[in-house]
Parts: sequence; structure tokens; C-alpha cells
Amino acid sequence: MNLSTLAPTSLPHLSALRSTSSTRDNLTENVAIEGRNINFSVKTRQGKVVPILKDCSIRIPSGQLWMLLGPNGCGKSTLLKILAGLLTPTNGSLFIRRPKSYVFQNPDHQVVMPTVEADVAFGLGRLDLTNSEVRSRVSKALDVVGMSEYLERPVQTLSGGQKQRVAIAGALAEACKVLLLDELTTFLDESDQMGVIKAVQNLLEISGEVTALWVTHRLEELEYADGAVYMEDGRVIMDGDAARISKFIKAKQSSYIDRINC
Amino acid sequence: MNCTHCPFPTVKPPFLFLLNPNFKTLAYPTSTRVLNFPSNHPIRKPLLSYWRKSPNFNPVSENFQVKASIGSNNGEMGKWMSWLPTGGLAADKILRLISTATSSPICQFISSPTTFLHSVDPRIKLVWLLALVVLPARAQIVVRFGLVAFIALLSVLFLPKPVWVDQLGRVSLLCGILFILSGLGTDGVPQLVQSRTPSSSLTGLPDLPKSLSGYSYLIMKLGPLQLTRKGLSVASTAASLTFIIFQSASLCLATTTPEQLAFALRWFMLPLRYIGVPVAEIVLTLMLSLRFINLVFDEVRNVALGIVSRRINWQQLTMKETVDVFASYIQRIFKNIFKHAEQISQAMIVRGFRGDSNGHKLYFLSDSSFGMADLIAVVCLIGVTTAALLSENFVV
Repeated sequence: MNLSTLAPTSLPHLSALRSTSSTRDNLTENVAIEGRNINFSVKTRQGKVVPILKDCSIRIPSGQLWMLLGPNGCGKSTLLKILAGLLTPTNGSLFIRRPKSYVFQNPDHQVVMPTVEADVAFGLGRLDLTNSEVRSRVSKALDVVGMSEYLERPVQTLSGGQKQRVAIAGALAEACKVLLLDELTTFLDESDQMGVIKAVQNLLEISGEVTALWVTHRLEELEYADGAVYMEDGRVIMDGDAARISKFIKAKQSSYIDRINC
Repeated sequence: MNCTHCPFPTVKPPFLFLLNPNFKTLAYPTSTRVLNFPSNHPIRKPLLSYWRKSPNFNPVSENFQVKASIGSNNGEMGKWMSWLPTGGLAADKILRLISTATSSPICQFISSPTTFLHSVDPRIKLVWLLALVVLPARAQIVVRFGLVAFIALLSVLFLPKPVWVDQLGRVSLLCGILFILSGLGTDGVPQLVQSRTPSSSLTGLPDLPKSLSGYSYLIMKLGPLQLTRKGLSVASTAASLTFIIFQSASLCLATTTPEQLAFALRWFMLPLRYIGVPVAEIVLTLMLSLRFINLVFDEVRNVALGIVSRRINWQQLTMKETVDVFASYIQRIFKNIFKHAEQISQAMIVRGFRGDSNGHKLYFLSDSSFGMADLIAVVCLIGVTTAALLSENFVV
């Protein structure tokens, strides 16, 4: 395993994770994503520093589907972008297995080529593959998301859900070890939503070593997850078993409703 | 013209007929208000002036109710006030037109049904396009019109009916206007010419001989305008060249995927690598542009939809305020487009693009083997080119 990617940006902030593993070796062998005390802040025009993430620590075991939940503006997408390497944390340390793929919330931001086939093949450009290998990967990836009949279709003729599936196929074709998925099901109807979740689950089961971190607002998706992380106001409030997180969120919801009704 | 549903005379005021020839207005005396227009309404003045010309019209003693129906005399009254383009409504109509326009731009690839043109190699299609640009400019008028007919026939044969009806309709209208304007405009203004002086009777020289073959420079005279041979030549070149360029490009884009086009372009440009032309970068830019064009169309449509859905009362806005709304509309479009560009660049980074077009391979997965369709296309190309070249010698 390449430990060089575990690059601490600020040593004094390193602290123990809420993890069950006792040794560093055990941690990195079983863990696909690990972030310690990640802080991220932005500076306003007036020079004021606004903290977005505050001491966030997460640890996602390898080969599992985890969900990242929390209210709007709590920093879920920012944390995911940091994991994807799109943003640099102000401080904290980070480890993530490679190759990794990131799927945007809006598929129009993800799909960069004019037709389905070309877009799914775009991510393979960094690898030196033959045309037949690329064709096989593209067709397999499109098959998983149920878009194998749309090879030559112009992207602008697809619906939002179909574009989303093309975006996921693009990530799958790269045969990545870690999938970072930002609110994938926002544009999908119920059947497409389930189709995508099951496609990701299948992929994890078949490969055995692919890890997915899924940002979502939909509580019903939690039942498909192996684990979850709950965030609020830039902090990780709770992480662990999906059922426990689900119970925690439902309790929060009912207490909120009770407060309103009082 | 009389209405079949009532005993009162049905009239057609000329200005309403200009808006929609199917309007049929019923005018009959009632006890209601004279005309339901505000005093400053632009329609009131011409309407009243029209009625005043009527010898029996007396606005003081007689009251009229004006109603209109569209289509046949079925008695259905339309709210034709809403059809009238007034200042405020015009802005609303423009935005509604934009917001309801299709998100798909003109000339996009049509994947099915797969036709003969779909199976022709994109490189041959590009050579065809080049030939169709060069030939009409050099060939005789007969060849030009022949090429126009050929392209129109190809469109009818290989494109779905709604597509070719729409495309040929638009292009024909544009080219018709261009033909009339350039045909009559070329020699429309008489040239300042000096008659032969001194006259032949004074010099004793014979008059200029008249054409034996009935040649006449002037073909047709329409009042002050005239169509000359030069005008016809210019008009036929401009109109047929415009038709051929637009329609052949549409035909090519409808039957070729953007990747195939990029592949063909790269194939032709590859030798230019040796003189430092960044071929890979140009091809990648082309591909990204082809994707981005659709996003721009979407953005223009969505922002317009956003403004329309606010239900702005345009009639209450001053001209300055209306302009202000349009300015903010354009500003928002640019902001969103730049945001899209930023997001796409982020997506490219996470998908492994590191800024070097040569280091990031673009895969062109379509089959490029030479088949029967390609052979037929090449033979036709040679035939058309030969006919065009020979026409210079044989057609006068």
C-alpha cells in the first residue's frame, strides 16, 4: 500500500480517530478512506475567515458502501471535494486509496463529451489502452447502469436521470478503488434511484475491494449502506453502523417535530 | 362578408387582417361601451380612423361591441387583445419564445434510423463538404442549381420527414430572400454611364452592332428595379452557395457523431503536427465545444424560463426597467456559463485530465474500415466534380 498519500498537512492537529483498530498498520490495510482532523475555511472579501469544516475525522473501511448525511450547508460536499482532491484542506491529514472517482451532483458538470460512448471513455484517456479494451470497459459500465443501448446518443437528448447514469458509468469504467458520489439520486425518480443504488451495491459485491462514499439527503437509502457518517455545522457528529445513524436521525426529527408542535 | 350566426355585418379591418388573416370581426350596435380600449392604447387610433371613413359612422350616437374569432365562423370568440404586440407584452413574448424553444440545437446527430449516409466514412464526408463549398462558386448556373437539387434530394431521402421539412423550409426561405435581394440589388441602382459622344451621325462611324443571337443584358424590369445577367449570376451564386453550405452541413451533422467528425478532422490535420500545430489540443477543444454548445442553449432557455415564471407585469415597467431586466438576464447567462465551464474543468481534473492534451488520449471507437458505402460516395464525388468542371467548357 502506498502510504505516501497519507500526507499530514499539519502535524500538531493529528489526533486519534474514533476507530476500533489499535495499530496504524491495521488501519491502513482495512481502510480505504481516512481523514484526521480535517479543517477547511474560506476567506471572505472583507478578510474574515469562515470555517466550513471543523476537525472532521472519518474512517471508511475498504469494500463497503458508506453514506454521508447531514442538513444543507453542513459541509458534506466540501468534505467529499477534499477527499477527491478538488479542494485542499486548511489542515489535517488525509489518506485515500487510488484510483478514485468522483461523481458530481449535477450530471451536466460531469459529462464532458458530446455523446454517451465518448464520455464514458473520456476517463480512460490517462491509461494507454487499446480500442477493443476501451470498447469492452465502456460497454460493461453502461450495461451496469442500464444504458447499453444509448452508445451513440447525444448527451443533450438524455433526461437528467440518464445523464446521471452516464456519469456513474464514466466512473465505473475507470475501475476505481474508491467511488465518491455526491447526491447521485437528486435527479432520479424512485425506480432510477433504486437502480443506481443497486448498481453501486453490485459493483461493490463483484469487485470486493471497491469502496463507495455516498452523500445523500434521503434517509431511505441508508438501509443499503454498511455504515454512515452524520455531519452538522461542519463537524462529524456521529459515525458507524447505518441502523444506529438512522435511529439517531429519526430521533432528531421527532424531537424537532415535537418542538414545533409544542 | 356576413357572419352566419348573427344579422349584423361582419367586417375585416385591414390592420387586423395583417396580424392574422383568419380574424373575422363582428360589429354590431349594443348598449355597451363603444370600444374596450384604453384611451392611450396604440390600437385605438387606427381603429377609430378606419371607422370614421365609414359614411354612417357616428361615435356619439352609436355604440359598438367588437369581438373576434379565429378560424372558421364557428362563433367562438377569441381574446384577440392578447394577440396584439404591445410594448410590455413584446418583452414577455421574447422571453416566452426563448423559454419554450427546444433545448436541442439545430443540426444534432440523429442516431436512428441508420441510413446510407450514416455508414459513409466521416473523412469522405468532409471531402464532400469541401467540394460542395468550392464547386458552386466556380461552376455554371445549371450546375449550381443541380447541386441545390441534389442536396435537397439527399435531405429528403436520408432525414426523417419532420427534420427535412423544417430544415429545407428555413434554408429555402433564407436563400429565397437572399436571391431576391442580391438579384435585384446588384444592378438595381442604374450606373452612371455616359452615352457615346460625339454621336455616330457626327463622326460618320457606324452604330454599334446589335446582338444577332438576341442577347440582352437586361433580363427583367420590375418598376424601378431591374434583373440583369450580372444580377442573376450574383444571386444564383449567393443563394445556391448559402443553401448548399447550410444544408450539406446539416446533413453531415445529422448523420455523423461529433467523435467521428473529430476523428476525421484529426486524420486530416495529423501531418500538421510536424510544423508545430497542436492537433490534439484542437481536437479536444472541438469535442468540448460540441458539448458546451448544448449547455449554453440550456442555460439561455432556463434563465428565460426563470424570468417568465416570475410573472412580471411588463406593462407597468418603464423602458429603462425593461432594458434593466434584459441586461440582468444576459448577465446571469454569462455568470452561469462561466460557472459551468469551471465545473466542467473540475470534472476533467477528477477524471484524470492533467492539462496536457497529448497525454490524455481521446478514443474514437467507431469503425473506420472502407466499405461499399464509402466506394459509392467516392464515385459520386468524382462524378459531380467532373460534371462541374466539364460544364465550364460545354455549358454557355
